[in-house]
Amino acid sequence: MRGLAAILLLGGGILAAFGAQNADYRPDDGWQAPREAAARSNPLPAKAEVVGGGRKLFVRHCAECHGGDGQGRKRAADLVLPAVQEQSDGVLFWKISNGNPRRGMPSWGRLPEPQRWQLVLYLRALRPDSASAGTSK
Amino acid sequence: MIMKMKFTFIFNTRRRSLAARLGGLLLALLLAAPARGQESPYFVTYDDHMEEPGNLEISVLNTTGVRGNGQPAYFAPYTEIEYGVKAWWTAELYLEGQKTLNDGTIFTGWRLENRWRPLARQHRINPVLYFEYENINEGSRIKKEVVGHAEPATESNAELRRAHAHELEAKLILSSQVKGWNVSENFIVEKNLSADEGVEFGYALGVSRPLASLASARNCRLCRENFVAGLELYGGLGDSRNFGLKQTAHYLAPAISWQVSDSTTLRFSTGFGLTSNSAPVLIRFGYSYEVRGFRDKVASLFRRKQ
Repeated sequence: MRGLAAILLLGGGILAAFGAQNADYRPDDGWQAPREAAARSNPLPAKAEVVGGGRKLFVRHCAECHGGDGQGRKRAADLVLPAVQEQSDGVLFWKISNGNPRRGMPSWGRLPEPQRWQLVLYLRALRPDSASAGTSK
Repeated sequence: MIMKMKFTFIFNTRRRSLAARLGGLLLALLLAAPARGQESPYFVTYDDHMEEPGNLEISVLNTTGVRGNGQPAYFAPYTEIEYGVKAWWTAELYLEGQKTLNDGTIFTGWRLENRWRPLARQHRINPVLYFEYENINEGSRIKKEVVGHAEPATESNAELRRAHAHELEAKLILSSQVKGWNVSENFIVEKNLSADEGVEFGYALGVSRPLASLASARNCRLCRENFVAGLELYGGLGDSRNFGLKQTAHYLAPAISWQVSDSTTLRFSTGFGLTSNSAPVLIRFGYSYEVRGFRDKVASLFRRKQ
């Protein structure tokens, strides 16, 4: 009886887990960086090696949800959109660091800070008007 | 004679074939997608990292105890299946067993664990709440946590497997990032529902740091950014009837993790017993494989064809 209860508990947990995901992405207007964080600027130079490292990190950590080209998937934002690109480096850094757990975006605060800034550099390289990722500025 | 030669030939051929397969597996492991780095090296301490939503991580781990201080030599393998339910909720299932030297091999039970991150934003100290149900027996030796008092193990596996333990365990996990270092503290409370033992207490502390903080542009496996080195300290704090350090086990364990490929991590740790009640040495080894987008892959199996 106890075994059956355990199996039901486990099975129920797994079913709940599969059903508990977001269905579609919708922008979250409440996800705002504090003014102090938004004012921070990227301490890393936009050199090819550094941006290239950001690209590698993006492919490994972000592309699964945001797509390899950053144009978003069902549950994640299109990072090429002006609404994203117009945000300051500090805001993007804050959003990568904190995530938005209630909307499915994990916190990447466990990545070393320089790597999070590398990601911001690479996000800038996704802009349509940007030179190709990895070029020096 | 001919039969014996034939048998030897078949045996040797099979052994070569097995060696070739194992070699191939190792090669495939090393040639898999490039590394991504930053997996925690901890075996006992939890930090605030949650499994990414929809991903499944399967780990095969082992704790080997070296004989001494009244503890037998043993080998305790366990499997961990971790699923990211939400960005703030991770669920895990453990299956465990053990083989004690000069004794039998037994299945020691299963555990179901949940971790919740209550705060939406990163803070100086990030709390995570942990709750686990354990359906194990007294033969369990994986030492996923160390709580209560430590006693010399004198009973055989046959006796230990008969003593069931239904336990509830809660942890308060606190984790911080300080100048590139991860600093984590776990406070553990455990109650055995099958025996009148009071409530047991324990702790685990860990510090770790990646060997490089900038990612290089090239794809590499042995770059410093793929390694994280750390140090763990964990042990028991007695129970509600006899709280304190008397007759408790404590371990200091250097640990390292290596992100071998995009989805694969190897971890290794050697824990040194600090008290006369501790096993002299605990050697831990772990292999983890992450299935990205597991939820989407499963969902696609049941999606109606257009």
